[in-house]
Amino acid sequence: MHVYLRIPSLLLVWLLMDGCWRPAPPEPPTSGDIYRPVYAPAAAIRIVQTLPPQPLQNAGKIYIKDQYLFINEVGRGIHVVDNRNPAKPMQLSFISIPGNQELAIKDSILYADNVLDLVALNVANPANVRVVRRIENAFPYASYPLATNVRFECPDPTRGVIVRWEKAAIDNPQCFR
Amino acid sequence: MYRLLLIFSLLFLLSCTKDGGSPTPGTGIGGSTARFTVSGNTLYIVGSTSLQAFDITNSSNPVPGAKTTVGVGVETIFPYRDKLFVGTQTGMFIYDITQPANPKQVSVYTHIQSCDPVVAQGNYAYVTLRSGTNCRNRTANSLDVVDFSDLNNLKQIGSYPMKNPHGLGVDGKLLFVGEGEYGLRVLDISNPAVVLPIQYVDSVKAYDVIPYQNRLIVTSPAGISQYSYATNQLTHLSTLPVQP
Repeated sequence: MHVYLRIPSLLLVWLLMDGCWRPAPPEPPTSGDIYRPVYAPAAAIRIVQTLPPQPLQNAGKIYIKDQYLFINEVGRGIHVVDNRNPAKPMQLSFISIPGNQELAIKDSILYADNVLDLVALNVANPANVRVVRRIENAFPYASYPLATNVRFECPDPTRGVIVRWEKAAIDNPQCFR
Repeated sequence: MYRLLLIFSLLFLLSCTKDGGSPTPGTGIGGSTARFTVSGNTLYIVGSTSLQAFDITNSSNPVPGAKTTVGVGVETIFPYRDKLFVGTQTGMFIYDITQPANPKQVSVYTHIQSCDPVVAQGNYAYVTLRSGTNCRNRTANSLDVVDFSDLNNLKQIGSYPMKNPHGLGVDGKLLFVGEGEYGLRVLDISNPAVVLPIQYVDSVKAYDVIPYQNRLIVTSPAGISQYSYATNQLTHLSTLPVQP
């Protein structure tokens, strides 16, 4: 092969090889669940209150302590249930905790996530639950839904704090993971 | 004397007003998909990449402690004796919590990427792997049994096909698996090396489960259901329904 041809062909080989080696950036998914953030004003998210029993809508994690059964209502709070008779569980109250998804208990203190904060609640009297300690900003700002391979409406911090993500029919969502 | 009687009557009345009584000291029981757990005087919380300890010797006053980096896709935490079992999308991590404030990673059991809660009993960890769009895994669904008696050399002693396991729970010789849309399984683990089917209820949907004192609590899209397993067979007791 002539030397003047050899160099361009070598370049061509390099180009081809380069094309093989560079990993293509992942394509945004075109299918899969679509989520949108649900916002709340920063002042409202730190209000924890005991309410009368509420209907279960989107039950999440559960926790047993003595005769009580605690049921997380995803993103909203915790149902307190008297479970002495498991054939007839009785709802006692609902602890409204914005953003709540997790819980654990020691003694009569329930630990829960409250959007960015960790709260310790005294649940000795389920009809009157009190915040005994709040550790602010124990958790990171939820800038994306927990699920993967999903598309979602991009968060806009000027609209408030994200308390949960809900499935939604949105055209052409710009964020994905 | 009269005054003493009065005080006793008053105490008696007071004890009646609080229906059911106060929670006793100590911790409760969570499901296999929990991200919060209490072991002794420490609250452990897993984030998406980390494990954070809070000292709760004084339960009303949690004090932030060590924060350990675990890895990516951390999903669940399960306490057993002096260990924590952390389920992630790439495997199961075992932490020693002999020093509760400083969890120390002692073992890793890696597997293909999937969603995988873990529970433990005796020297065995029961790990479920689940496929699904949220789990970066399209095919594998299984129950793996891992012998951790030698923490330096975890041994998989069994793997059983499952349909779509979401959560699991263990009590004595019984293992319960919530198979999501596909139902609820009861398995015999008398011999952890040979897991045998006992019952498979495909008429219900089941996510996470907590077996406790012969009662199984199950989360499902329909609500919270409870079963008795006193006879090793599930008997439905109640369902707190989800309101549409």
